[in-house]
Amino acid sequence: MILLGELSLWAALLMAAWSATVSFAGGRIGRVDLVASGERAMYATFAFVVLSSIGLWSALLTSDFSLRFVASYTSANLPAVYKFSAFWGGQAGSMLFWCLILALYSAITLYANRRRNRELMPYVTGTLALVLVFFLATTAFGANPYARLDWVPPDGTGLNPQLQNPGMAIHPPNLYLGYVATAVPFAFAIAALITRRLDAEWLAAVRRWSLVSWLFLTIGITLGMWWAYVELGWGGYWAWDPVENASLLPWLTGTAFLHSIMIQEKRGMLRKWNVTLVVATFLLSILGTFITRSGVIESVHSFAQSPIGNWFAGFLVTSIVATGILVATRLKDLEARAELESMVSREAAFLYNNVVLVGIAFSVLWGTLFPIISEAVRGSKITVGPPFFNTVNIPLGLLLLGLTGVGPLIAWRRASVANLKRQFAAPVAGGLGLGAALFALGMRDGYALVSYTLAGFVTTTIGQEFVKGVGARRRMHGESMPVALMRLVGRNRRRYGGYIVHFGIVVLFAAFAGLAFKKEYDLSLTPGASFTALDPYNRTWTFTSQGVSRYEELNRQVTAVILEAKRAGAPPTLIKSEKRQHVDSQGNPSFEPSTEVGILESLRQDVYLVLHGVTGEETAEIRITFNPLVWWVWYGGIIMAIGGLIVMWPQATRAGSKRRAEGGYVVVMQPSERPPVEAGV
Amino acid sequence: MASRREFVTTLGVALVASTASRVFAQQGAEAPGATMLGDGYIPVRRVPRPAAAKRLTALERDQVERMISCPCPCTLDVFTCRTSMPCGFSPRMHADVVALTNGGYSSDEILAAFEQAYGEKILMAPHKQGFNWVGWIAPFAAVGTGGVVVGALIRRWGRRAAEMRTASPVPIEASDDEMARLDAAVRGEDR
Repeated sequence: MILLGELSLWAALLMAAWSATVSFAGGRIGRVDLVASGERAMYATFAFVVLSSIGLWSALLTSDFSLRFVASYTSANLPAVYKFSAFWGGQAGSMLFWCLILALYSAITLYANRRRNRELMPYVTGTLALVLVFFLATTAFGANPYARLDWVPPDGTGLNPQLQNPGMAIHPPNLYLGYVATAVPFAFAIAALITRRLDAEWLAAVRRWSLVSWLFLTIGITLGMWWAYVELGWGGYWAWDPVENASLLPWLTGTAFLHSIMIQEKRGMLRKWNVTLVVATFLLSILGTFITRSGVIESVHSFAQSPIGNWFAGFLVTSIVATGILVATRLKDLEARAELESMVSREAAFLYNNVVLVGIAFSVLWGTLFPIISEAVRGSKITVGPPFFNTVNIPLGLLLLGLTGVGPLIAWRRASVANLKRQFAAPVAGGLGLGAALFALGMRDGYALVSYTLAGFVTTTIGQEFVKGVGARRRMHGESMPVALMRLVGRNRRRYGGYIVHFGIVVLFAAFAGLAFKKEYDLSLTPGASFTALDPYNRTWTFTSQGVSRYEELNRQVTAVILEAKRAGAPPTLIKSEKRQHVDSQGNPSFEPSTEVGILESLRQDVYLVLHGVTGEETAEIRITFNPLVWWVWYGGIIMAIGGLIVMWPQATRAGSKRRAEGGYVVVMQPSERPPVEAGV
Repeated sequence: MASRREFVTTLGVALVASTASRVFAQQGAEAPGATMLGDGYIPVRRVPRPAAAKRLTALERDQVERMISCPCPCTLDVFTCRTSMPCGFSPRMHADVVALTNGGYSSDEILAAFEQAYGEKILMAPHKQGFNWVGWIAPFAAVGTGGVVVGALIRRWGRRAAEMRTASPVPIEASDDEMARLDAAVRGEDR
């Protein structure tokens, strides 16, 4: 199986190279047979990459330590689920995983477009195949997971304990699914540029892929935050680490694209800008991979430094130059068909939203690269950490939150003063009302107050849109409230799914602002001793140590402390934190000790317990943190994902209605079936 | 004095050279496990002040640790590193911070002492001085410039659109709001 896997990797590389060559050639000289051959070669590439991946999974699950990769990232006593997820836990395996997803996406793209976009497809196939050639070649020559060891060790090194977490088994695949999906819109953009078919046709083809990328990146980033929170033990979920930043960059530009694409669809504008955003999103996902794998920028997440950084740098530079030349030679074809008419229009609001989103992306990239820039200019290295990113990005983030509420309230083309008054009255009142109420209740943190005021404004905006839409349906069709709501969303998925995503953003910002009120206590507790603490809501908690216990579990030795947590008027609860020393199959320590936090979760706050260590026999050195509103971060991510799914879900088409009619159903299209057109939007 | 073009060219060349040298220097290198064990640790000690009283609470001390970068490859601050993935550095640096706190030193004095020992890179954010201002201001400048450019473009486009409306041979008697509604109705949806 291993030999088959290794051979399949090389066969996939050859197939992808063939696919790229004949697809471009077939498109250029108009040979349909070559184009068909390129597409068949792409399907074959996918099949070979699947075989190669099965080979590696087989080696991981059977602990074949003759492979350097298996010996480096697993051990005999590693639970099977983590042997499986070790596939993407190390450099070489994760490269193959990239190839697997890219080959899968390429095959899906080819199949979905077997009768559509035929003029574009040779170049789409060729571009995807070229990207695949790069990844397969980098894997085969630079980070081959099938590289053998000179001797077979009795056991492997094992997987880093912090990667032995269910979140880590699913967080990287989601990020990869998001990163890699940016390649498909990129391929369509390249094809559209080459063929000069730069109308809305290619945009329609890429919109759903852009949403796929956005959705998986959203889920991946949220899962990453959750993993950091429950596993790393420092009480936070975002550290502005270069690799975290790298995942945020394509998400930000991808979000900007999903907004600006609407302006091109509606008004035929921003054609250059949209091409730029699609290309930038793909290149930023490659840059993120470069950052993770080159070691040019230090990161807690980085894989071991390796020469494949050079490969990525070369690919990045080549892509930027080639795409730049292509765009420069097509500028005339990218001229807008219409122009913005007013500063006070939805188009303008979307443009400003784009400026802020891209501005935040720039600030994140700038902060990530500034240590290198500073070293190049001044010759001395500096560190750019959370204090910089928070100072720069919090104001920009709040500006973005405000724009989230403004956009839906302004009419397309040009809004009148009367329209603005009517639309903004309730949201402004809602936001200011909430801000004033929180101030009256004693909230004095400036950023938090602004956050909640804007959150109130945006929430009222969204609520107003739903109330208006439901009201219109009820008036026109006499539907009940739930039916009207469901049909409103179901028949305007892009619009109302988008509002749900916006609400998810509001929830996220509200949760982020909660961090301003976090409270921490450091203490030592002997068994039976108690500690009393006030939480951010001024409620009294009493924590009583139940003692320290030591035991062995699976592949680790555990030291645990259990506290009884009691709040006045509520039943007591037990909360446990562990210090884990992972061991290999011989019982020898295999990594530095890691912390397993104890979390008492609720919607208001988390009580977060970390065992720092044990002094003497049973004195536990612990930290208790009250983290307000943390659960809302995860809910915000879930709400955004649900909204994204609604937006992505295919709208029923007339063709679908026709099929239903042909199947025996009578479909009557009446004017009243059309969605209501509301004043001012 | 260098011209703007010379400055930008020099900066670009320096950046490329620096990135390339880092990339090529890493060929064949493995993860620097040795440095994680503590090579390069510099003790930061000061004589306790006479009759010193602790000037920082435990939480304020943690805040100081959050401003100090751990020199191990984790890229985290000392507090985060020692509480989550302790290496050869952060526990000893924590001990130094505790000793300085107990010796009566303030947050600024502790940060200055670490900076004196390790250089500016030990701080989690660069000082707001000299070239660092470029780092601090560039994001706001980029967004501000973007906003101004977009504003100017919209104004120009708006003027052109108004001229085209004026030149229209068929007069349209409708307000902008009505035109917008008509446009949305024609398109059948408005997003």
